[in-house]
Amino acid sequence: MVAGRLRPARRPEGLPDVVWSWIPQNWTQIWQYTLDNALLGLLPPLIGLAISVPLGVASVRWRLLYPPLLSLTSAIYAIPSLAVFVVLIDYTGLGNLTVIIALTLFSLCVLLPNVVDGLRGVSEPVRQAATAMGYSEVRRLVQVELPIAIPVVMAGLRIAVVSSISLASVGQLIGVSSLGYFFLDGFQRDFPTEIYAAIVLVLVLALLSDLVLIVVGRILTPWQRGQRHARARRPDELAGELA
Amino acid sequence: MITFDSVTKRYPDGTVAVDALDLEVPAGKIMVLVGPSGCGKTTSLRMINRLVEPTSGTITLDGRNVADANPSQLRRGIGYVIQQTGLFPHRTIEDNIATVPLLNHWDRRRARQRARELMELVGLDIAGMAKRYPHQLSGGQQQRVGVARALAADPPVLLMDEPFSAVDPIVRASLQDELIRLQAELHKTVVLVTHDVEEAIKVGDLVAVFRPGGHLAQVDTPARLLGAPTDEYVRDFVGFDRGIRRLSFFPAANLDLAGDTVLPASTPASEAAAIASRAGDPWILVVDLGRRPVGWAAVADLELVPSETTLAGVALAPVGHTFRPDTDSLRAALDATILSRTERAIGVDDRGQVIGTTTYERLRDAIRIAEEAADRGGRAAQARQTTGGIA
Repeated sequence: MVAGRLRPARRPEGLPDVVWSWIPQNWTQIWQYTLDNALLGLLPPLIGLAISVPLGVASVRWRLLYPPLLSLTSAIYAIPSLAVFVVLIDYTGLGNLTVIIALTLFSLCVLLPNVVDGLRGVSEPVRQAATAMGYSEVRRLVQVELPIAIPVVMAGLRIAVVSSISLASVGQLIGVSSLGYFFLDGFQRDFPTEIYAAIVLVLVLALLSDLVLIVVGRILTPWQRGQRHARARRPDELAGELA
Repeated sequence: MITFDSVTKRYPDGTVAVDALDLEVPAGKIMVLVGPSGCGKTTSLRMINRLVEPTSGTITLDGRNVADANPSQLRRGIGYVIQQTGLFPHRTIEDNIATVPLLNHWDRRRARQRARELMELVGLDIAGMAKRYPHQLSGGQQQRVGVARALAADPPVLLMDEPFSAVDPIVRASLQDELIRLQAELHKTVVLVTHDVEEAIKVGDLVAVFRPGGHLAQVDTPARLLGAPTDEYVRDFVGFDRGIRRLSFFPAANLDLAGDTVLPASTPASEAAAIASRAGDPWILVVDLGRRPVGWAAVADLELVPSETTLAGVALAPVGHTFRPDTDSLRAALDATILSRTERAIGVDDRGQVIGTTTYERLRDAIRIAEEAADRGGRAAQARQTTGGIA
């Protein structure tokens, strides 16, 4: 139904035209759509994180819960995003909420396994030592297991954010504003500048978000930073030990 | 004091890990639980801090049943050290050590202060290591941190599960020495699990030998375990050389060191030969002006040298290993004797001055006397010991 509205592209010979002046002329609109896209890209993974931590904790605690949960999130991930939007429209209408719910479901599929792997990556001696030191189960989870799981969870969050930023543009098809607007508009008007600009902006947005998450991850895991230093310092450390 | 009263652990699959264990760990002593894998020693240890709950029987800690305590509270009063250290990878060394104080709501500054005290106690370099993370330390250092963490809240009881098994033999020996030194200072009630009978004998005040199936074979002092194993199983388990190894527990202080001729290096050779011949000694121990040993002169050689030569001018057999009668064991004295070319070992004091020498004959007498005394003492101790004995 959507395809019917789009006209076939007629291109002039040679290089596609990039009309540079279009960018400053439409700056306000570009900025607005970029912000919308950023919001749609970041909010769902964060909600997904908030959901997948308790789900992940439960999955580790009650082992039988995990396989069906994993199958469910994977199945959702396999459904094309547009189809999910269409299904959700009946319940949540044409709007941000629909896109946010859909992208949240997608990010769960990445985040849940990472939360579970991260928690399972806490070695048994560490868990046992924590218990033997007198940690209650909840306290051990919050102060020992979850912090140790951060690097693995952050890796999942980075993937979720990047894919969410790129999937957000599909939301434009149900009228939710994002950089996807320029893809549709550029195609319909046979005006490639818009498309190129939007592609670059989606990439920049994804890279910037990833960079921010890397920095946040480093701040949250100083011991991992130490690990890198330790490798760099090996020779003089060795000398120190021999001395 | 920790008391096991008919403690059994049976798993749902029917495996019996510990079977009606009766054991008493006296306060302030190191009790080593030793045995092959699957003998229930680790399970027994973990039942003390309730990482494992017994199926039946009771464990009391200073008269209070551990089953009645809140597990978290109980555990904060019991230090716990494991083979794989279980250090928190996301916390600095000082914060790892401060774990239990922080759980006990100390303020952070005081907890860190305490952590630094403990780093000093276990021989860790505070300036270099307090802010590091566990993975930046060597295995031996990590194990020291593990011990420091266990001691941080000054618990009266320390449980150690194969604490030194993952490090190389040299580091292991130094950690064992460290434990013995710490214990002399701190007097904790320590239960240590190991599969290494050498370790058990070295660090234990008492050793409980487990049989497969969770039964006790013998509970005794290391010297008694070596000298009087109750049965074939314990004898085999304790292993070879137990006669020699047992000598480690007999001090060399009672050795008769008088006898051999000891002369300063300035003595003329002919005079020295005359003195030694009168005494009937084949060797003369030559010492310097500070009475430190220089070497052994063979009396037979002295007759061949020119008459004006002093002992300083003749060829001497090397001094070899010396021993300290005040601190060393008969084993060290015997070892020094075996290694000496003259079949004599030199006993020296803390300044390295010669006290006297010993020979196989005099060693043999000392060993016999020490063994007889130990056997008498052991029987007396066993008669007194109504509980905590052989189950």
